[in-house]
Amino acid sequence: MPTQIDYEYDHSLYGVEHESGPFPVTEEIVETYTRSVGEDNPIFTDRESARAAGYSNVVAPPTLCALFERGELPDIKLQFKGRQFHGGQRVEPRAPIMVGDTLTASSHLKDVYTKTGRSGTMVHVVWETTFRNQDGAVVADVQRSQVVRE
Amino acid sequence: MTTYLDLHCHSVASDDSRATVEQYLKWINVLRKRGFTIDGIVLTEHRQFDFDVDYSQLASEYGVIVLKGAELDTCFGHMLVYNITPGLAKDVDFGDVKMDGRELIKAARHHGGFVVPAHPGRFGIGLVEYMGQGEEFPGVSVVERVNAGSKPEENERADELCRNTGYLGTAGSDAHLASHIGRAVTEFKATIRTEPELVDALLSGEFRPIYIEETAASPVA
Repeated sequence: MPTQIDYEYDHSLYGVEHESGPFPVTEEIVETYTRSVGEDNPIFTDRESARAAGYSNVVAPPTLCALFERGELPDIKLQFKGRQFHGGQRVEPRAPIMVGDTLTASSHLKDVYTKTGRSGTMVHVVWETTFRNQDGAVVADVQRSQVVRE
Repeated sequence: MTTYLDLHCHSVASDDSRATVEQYLKWINVLRKRGFTIDGIVLTEHRQFDFDVDYSQLASEYGVIVLKGAELDTCFGHMLVYNITPGLAKDVDFGDVKMDGRELIKAARHHGGFVVPAHPGRFGIGLVEYMGQGEEFPGVSVVERVNAGSKPEENERADELCRNTGYLGTAGSDAHLASHIGRAVTEFKATIRTEPELVDALLSGEFRPIYIEETAASPVA
């Protein structure tokens, strides 16, 4: 009954960073994103309120960088074939992102693992991306999981 | 003394849970304030076991027993493993999602542990499916009869399995969210404070699966 799952892939990708960007954080992007997620804290919508709260400009909701976390990443040459879907993102904010910032991203393959569920066997491909602002300060770490289901 | 334990839950250490252990313990105290009884939980993270993580300070702070186990994927569905020892972790690759479940059961007993097949009535992945295909499981004596994360019809299949085979049943919330902890618990006749005591209690057969509502001394609003 036990069978091996063939989910071989390109292990040489571990430890390799893939750079992307720059991603300008414009007023328009922040305004659109803030409205789309229903955020109404004035530090995200009004410059004076943001300044009164100690920020130099309008602040972006911490998950904004997830918008940029979809650049082209290398094919890991996964042998396990099936339907693919987005398995979720986890954003860990490190520092405020503000209108006027310019972000860059550095992504690496974090993990590839299998699990089983009602729908069968799945392979999770996890990428981790670190976002930095124009000063080199880390503003967020984002983990994204892509799932391949048999 | 009776002990009420949630034998199946996942913290952020599992890839599909967003609840921290502290959030679980806080919620358990909310349940207690509502009149329910729950003494503790067993963390059963997916496909892993961390010997180093120590919840004793949190457990003491919130007055909740916190034990550690694991939920492992096998070729015969998911299995809850209690009292994991370094010897068992050495003999079994916890990340192998197609490991032989029967071998896992044997290995766990050999090392003083105990295996309870999780959500056996679950469609596509529960023990009922495999028994329907003619597979036999002589090492199984206890299954998770009540899984609060399963569909009602899946728990009915687990009920039927227990009635037909004489398997004893446990209960667990299978919580992945803080507010789901403790929705189902196992009522043990024994006092349980450690993983080896949990195994002794499972071997004794003196336990039953219940929903949290049954622990209330009086009807709770």
